[in-house]
Amino acid sequence: MQETVLLPLIILLPLLGFAVLGLWGRRLPEPVPGVVASALVLGSLLLGLVLLGQGGARWAVEDWIPGVPLSFVLDNLSGLMVMVVAGVGFLIHVYAIGYMHSDPGFSRFFSYFNLFIAAMLVLVLGDSLPVVFIGWEGVGLASYLLIGFWYTERVNADSARKAFIVNRIGDLGFLLGMGVLWAHFGTLSISELRELIAPEGEFAVGINVAAVSLAAFLLFIGAIGKSAQVPLMVWLPDAMAGPTPVSALIHAATMVTAGVYLLCRNSFLYFDLPDVSFWVVLIGMLTALYGALCAFGQTDIKRIVAYSTLSQLGYMFVAAGVGAYWVAMFHVLTHAFFKALLFMSSGAVIHALGGEQDVRKMGGMWNYLPQTRIHGLVGALALGGLPLLSGFWSKDAILAASYEYSALLWFVMLITAALTALYSMRWFVLVFMGKYRGHEHPHESPAVMTWPNHVLTLGSLFAGFVGLPYVVQSENLLEPWLNKAIVHHEHEKLPVLDEWALILVSAVVALGALYYGYRFFQAEAAGRLPAWFTRFQEASLRSFYADDVYNALLVRPLKSLAKILFDADGGLLGGFWWLGSATGNLGALLARLETGYLRFYAAGLLIAAVLLVLVGVIR
Amino acid sequence: MDALLHVGLFLPLLAGIALLIWPSLGRRLAVAASGVTFLIAAWLFARASGEAYTFQALLLEPIQMYYALRLDGVGLVLWLAVALTTLLAVFIAKVPTRMLGWALLMESGLLGIFAADDLILFYVFFEATLIPSLLMLGLYGGRERLKAAYTFALFTLAGSLPMLAALFAVRYLGGAPSFLYSDLAAHPVSGSVADWVFLGFLVAFAVKTPLFPLHAWLPSFHAENHPSGLADAMGTLYKVGLFAFFKWAIPLAPEGFAQFQGLLLVVAAFSAIYAAWLAFAAKDWKRLLAYGGVSHMGLGALGLFSGNAEGVTGALFLLAASMVYTGGLFLVVGRIAERTETLEIGPVRGIAKSAPALSVLTMFLVMAMIGLPGLSGFPGEFMALLGAWKISPWLTFIAFTAVIAAAAYALTAYQALFQEEQNRVVSDLTPREWAFAVAIVAGVVLAGVYPKMFTQMIHPLSEALAKLLGGGA
Repeated sequence: MQETVLLPLIILLPLLGFAVLGLWGRRLPEPVPGVVASALVLGSLLLGLVLLGQGGARWAVEDWIPGVPLSFVLDNLSGLMVMVVAGVGFLIHVYAIGYMHSDPGFSRFFSYFNLFIAAMLVLVLGDSLPVVFIGWEGVGLASYLLIGFWYTERVNADSARKAFIVNRIGDLGFLLGMGVLWAHFGTLSISELRELIAPEGEFAVGINVAAVSLAAFLLFIGAIGKSAQVPLMVWLPDAMAGPTPVSALIHAATMVTAGVYLLCRNSFLYFDLPDVSFWVVLIGMLTALYGALCAFGQTDIKRIVAYSTLSQLGYMFVAAGVGAYWVAMFHVLTHAFFKALLFMSSGAVIHALGGEQDVRKMGGMWNYLPQTRIHGLVGALALGGLPLLSGFWSKDAILAASYEYSALLWFVMLITAALTALYSMRWFVLVFMGKYRGHEHPHESPAVMTWPNHVLTLGSLFAGFVGLPYVVQSENLLEPWLNKAIVHHEHEKLPVLDEWALILVSAVVALGALYYGYRFFQAEAAGRLPAWFTRFQEASLRSFYADDVYNALLVRPLKSLAKILFDADGGLLGGFWWLGSATGNLGALLARLETGYLRFYAAGLLIAAVLLVLVGVIR
Repeated sequence: MDALLHVGLFLPLLAGIALLIWPSLGRRLAVAASGVTFLIAAWLFARASGEAYTFQALLLEPIQMYYALRLDGVGLVLWLAVALTTLLAVFIAKVPTRMLGWALLMESGLLGIFAADDLILFYVFFEATLIPSLLMLGLYGGRERLKAAYTFALFTLAGSLPMLAALFAVRYLGGAPSFLYSDLAAHPVSGSVADWVFLGFLVAFAVKTPLFPLHAWLPSFHAENHPSGLADAMGTLYKVGLFAFFKWAIPLAPEGFAQFQGLLLVVAAFSAIYAAWLAFAAKDWKRLLAYGGVSHMGLGALGLFSGNAEGVTGALFLLAASMVYTGGLFLVVGRIAERTETLEIGPVRGIAKSAPALSVLTMFLVMAMIGLPGLSGFPGEFMALLGAWKISPWLTFIAFTAVIAAAAYALTAYQALFQEEQNRVVSDLTPREWAFAVAIVAGVVLAGVYPKMFTQMIHPLSEALAKLLGGGA
């Protein structure tokens, strides 16, 4: 592994694009900003591949802040992410040249898009947790800017803000997790921590397991926020307010998988911690199930896919939680292909229908969009887990790893897989099958949009073959390659028969659910659904009231309390005024008490009480 | 180098006096004087060798008071921040010329606060700076300016008297031969005297940090000051409490600090979250920034009062960084108020459409304020967190929920002004404002991307303080 300044150049290329396009992009004629931005991302990809081919690279500045280096590492794990981020990112950049055509913010869009790529590369290449955090918040900023890209609509600006704030809750976990590691190990460099905590592939003797557990748990909270897991999942569906390429790149293929990547990058914290890992599994499982159930009621073409992203991220967390880190990354890879494809097919449909996003006003696109229909079909089948497609293999690997962990977990994930197949067929049927239910004149997208989808289609079809189960290929490509960079326990392989049985079961379930879903949702297109299902859909559409609960329990009380405190703070000043002019007689004082200062005193008492309690806590 | 030290310190004073007498000299003089001061600060910073720049001359023989200056790493960083912010402020703020003179007077006082190495001299600078600050508020403020000024004066003076007592106590009860820092530090007070001395300093410095509940003067101070933001930016620089704790209160009475440390940590954490919460309910930009500033100083104070090297470095870094970005935000808000004729949040919406560059500049500074990594707000906040966690994880957790609240109040206000449906067309950045934008963005990015440049100046001194306090705790 070489020390080279070429490594940060991978990041600087798109960062340069951000600065140049942000400052002067508006003076460039239309396709130029998009072409420049795409070329820079391609440059990052090629540079990354070259360095990876030379066995990886490192680069560091010591004492960036005292005791914390600014360090980057390109190993197989970050290399895979660079391929996904810059590779899929490049395709989506190209697609966006067509999608954003004639938008007045064309160059601004590509400036932000490049900012995102740069920040995401910082995140994946960082070898010091604060550096990862720079990228972590940087992608949050890019996501904020791009969700609110059409900021004159209030709902878009609201969604962007919500995404940023909810993410910050997770980020606090990340920050505090770093605080724990710093206090106990005196370093935040990931490779140094790894040497300290798990030097020989297991926890070092005499290590403070409680501290490692706390740090792991807090970092996991960060991952929950970024990857939109339960209970911080509420921002992701709203994030669909951004332009569709944004949804494809940031809110499906790359940024939201950062939480999974964080766990794998820091697997040396988690691999020997069954308690914390249990929480990872539990949260992942709940999210997988929740996301799948929410997908059934959505009427917005993108929100269906968004909830499926939530659900698939849950799968990845389950994989990481059971200790199959390479499997989690495998699913990150295949998911990047088929989910980007699904979003960009959705985008092609939206484009074809002049901005329509309601699936109830779609249908029949099979007859209008000869290329997009193939993209949509392959995407939906890969998501639904049709045997031999990429999604089947990675999901099967997760199911097998879950089975080793617990049969119950396997069962829940299997049910969720069936649900996935059902709603992916719902998406496909409502959009492409039956008769067209709207009044536009659908037209196929230009080549600049279809070609990236061709490539993604190939990926969705074949990417799964890098991670075949051992009964098919005794040693697949991905597992040993990734495991060089990941601290993990070697799992005993399942017996050959069990493994085949699991593959068979998941194949049968997927096929059955795909077929049944294909039939069942033709009824929805025709408006002939059973009543119980319609009722279920109503709750699902409102994501089982998650937002309502949060608003009632958290947002509104916090806001009202802020107002009360704000007024009381003015009263505080009044209190000082009173102290300053304490010459007034008692009668005047009492009169003041009766005229509104009561609130101040009440607040003062409350604050004093809180302070006393806090003093007690710390002493 | 001596000469430069004195020139840097007094040039603004002289230029300020000249402007007050002959306002026709105009803004050019103010910009030139503060520009030269900034260059001097930058020159001294660049030439720093690890040794402090010092100067000593006996001033009052009977009480052994010196005109003693000592500009060490911390002082240099703060000089740079003060000089840059003042330069930007007099460059951009649209105010009567005489007001620029008062601002320059304030600059000298501030530079003196950070350079003084004699406690009496420090006290003089500390108090003298109040005068131009008060006058700016009283002369150019809004409708309730006198009440605000009165409050400000009351709070400051209420802190000054105990400080004056502490100042004499620390020398004569400690037995130091002079008011020089080195003499005082060599003879620290102990026992209950230390408690009382520290308490005396505490009140004065808590007002100027500011810490709850002694922050109460700040919102009206900002809300009533001239809408241009000049006085607000200078007022932001005047929040020297953290530095004063670091340089004087803690080293001179470490035992007293140890007594109050627990309480101070609680108060700092409470300030951080309380003010952030209140900022959310603020209805005008100046109150929002005022409470936001209190919140961030609370985080800094939490780091400082942790008493370990990373916490102290974080606090001082945050102090310097916040001078620039908070000062800058006050100035930007002033430019916006000039266009929209209101500081209120809400009535004017969607101005990003007509002023995209202005909106980007504001977003930039807002992001610096809420601690986005890569910008100048983050390193200080982060080191404060690392230091504080070692001392009290629970308080750290409570205090740093303020970073969530910060995103909420800052982005909500940003959205209200710049986004949603446009109801007012405003002009975008003028060439002068572009120059301002380039300078401040460069500073904010430099400190965020390469904090090492500043932390390496601060950290050795923080380590010395941590060692004094017993190796960290």
